Amino acid sequence: MPFSSAKREGVRDVLMAAALLGSICASAPAYSAEQPRIASINLCTDQLLATLADPEQILGLSPYARDPARSWDAKKAAQFPHLSGEAEDVLVLKPDIVVAGRYTKRATRELLKDKGLRVVEFNPARSFEDVKKQLRQMGALVKHPDRADAEIAKLDAAMAHARETARRKPFRVLAVSRRGWVSGGDNLTTSLLSAAGLTNAGGELGLKAGGYASLEAIVSLKPDFLLVTDSNDYAEDEGRAFLLHPALEKFYPASKRIVIPEKLTVCGGPTLAQALDRLATELQRVDH
Amino acid sequence: MVSAAPAARRRMIATIALVGLITLLALGSLGTGPVKLSPLTVLDALFGGGSDVQQTIVREIRLPRAVLALAIGAILGLSGAALQGLLRNPLASPSLFGAPQAAAFGAVLMISLGWADVRSWALPVAGITMAFLSVFVLLGIAGRNASLLLLILAGLAISSLAGAATALVMNLSPNPFAALEIAFWLLGSLEDRSFRHVTLALPFIVAGAIILMSQRSAFRALSLGEETAQSLGVNVSRLRLLVILGVALGVGGAVAVTGTIGFIGLVAPHLMRPIIGHDPARLLIPSALTGSALLLTADIAVRIIPSTTDIKVGVLTSIIGVPFFLYLIMRERRALGGGVA
Repeated sequence: MPFSSAKREGVRDVLMAAALLGSICASAPAYSAEQPRIASINLCTDQLLATLADPEQILGLSPYARDPARSWDAKKAAQFPHLSGEAEDVLVLKPDIVVAGRYTKRATRELLKDKGLRVVEFNPARSFEDVKKQLRQMGALVKHPDRADAEIAKLDAAMAHARETARRKPFRVLAVSRRGWVSGGDNLTTSLLSAAGLTNAGGELGLKAGGYASLEAIVSLKPDFLLVTDSNDYAEDEGRAFLLHPALEKFYPASKRIVIPEKLTVCGGPTLAQALDRLATELQRVDH
Repeated sequence: MVSAAPAARRRMIATIALVGLITLLALGSLGTGPVKLSPLTVLDALFGGGSDVQQTIVREIRLPRAVLALAIGAILGLSGAALQGLLRNPLASPSLFGAPQAAAFGAVLMISLGWADVRSWALPVAGITMAFLSVFVLLGIAGRNASLLLLILAGLAISSLAGAATALVMNLSPNPFAALEIAFWLLGSLEDRSFRHVTLALPFIVAGAIILMSQRSAFRALSLGEETAQSLGVNVSRLRLLVILGVALGVGGAVAVTGTIGFIGLVAPHLMRPIIGHDPARLLIPSALTGSALLLTADIAVRIIPSTTDIKVGVLTSIIGVPFFLYLIMRERRALGGGVA
């Protein structure tokens, strides 16, 4: 994770937070006290928050929100203040609610709770049901449940569309990331694939949520397609070079690789609708 | 000399035995992996039989790995023997002098700043340049007839510097995975390498080996002392430069594709000395063969030892190499003490 960039921008963050604080103090009465103001310190809660809340409600998003490779919409995120993800700037902002991931930044969350802030934690979503539940939960927090319902409707429509375009053949797909990390049977990837009538071959490797698989194991497993996050041919490190190994490229050239950008699937959130659409298009491309 | 003929025969037998051992180990390396394949299947797949998958596993996943272990083990053993010959010093080895660490810094610079694809020539070139610089600086600082103590201290300083510089560029990297990737990479591994890596490393390893081997007779003359060697027509400063170049080419090329694999260069010549004798010229080839055998064995072991994530081969060679180094220090205690006084 880019600690360094967080550090480099730390000073700017403090300045921004100070400026922000000034502007909030000055303009506080302008915004209704009814609507809670919320800070997010996790990329996935960023996405839920930015989709459902009014811009005025958003006090800040986590540092990764602006990362073009991982953020659901880095450009939109750039409109909002950018937090360090640590306790200091959140404390200065005095939000009504802090939203965070259940398993990350534990020390930060506890510190914030100790200081009397209301911290709401979100689990990583493992299925579409989880995603819908979280949309409703965030909708209730920001007091815009109607928007959550609209997002859920979009998701349902995308699922219906994916199911329609799904071929009759239940292809076996293996989701592989850098270093050979394979997504197992019990997670969002499986839900995504099964929504389009596909099976996650990772389940056959006996991995529950996921784990590393060797090149040999992947080649012998013989899935019909690989699901990867990008299609470029540049290996910036050995982890990426794994996916470009000649043994994999031989059985899985570009025409056997389903590409869904990481930013669409990294979180269980509204972007899953886009991920499903993308999956449907990719299936048309690879299976003709 | 009365004992010349039996000694020559012993050397011959040892060399043939080593070649046989390496052949067996190389086949063992082809037969080891997460997917179980019988020895017959492996041989069949190696020569183009068997299923598509079996062929790919043996020829494109395991074969490059075995070739790299063979070549890199050999160049590390050879470099160790050459450095020990040049310095007339049994504790000399590339890893104690900080050469692999410096080469790793060169390669990490390329990886973490995202300047080059990890499978491009930029990596070995950067690794070789840094390895050359480090050995050059080390010999410059420690001087011509440096004592053990001086060499080891200077080597320690250089490898610490290279380590710190590596950590620094790691932190400056724009790639969020860089820290983890590089940390793994620094441990040294032959896993999932392909023939692309072989093409990157092999030319440099071969060039380094040719340079070191070409200086064979100079090492022998040098073992009689520097003045004697000079009177026998050996240009000692040229020899030194060539050895540095050979070691840098070999070690730099090797490190660029596998990360740092230490202590093979130290251990291999020591294993051969009791059998081959102390003649540094005759020690070169057996040391290279022993280096190959050691690295092949270590690389088979990391695949056999049960573990949840892969053990790195560089970790294994250090775990075996460091106690050996401590033992050598104990044996050389008197010489080291002399260095202080």
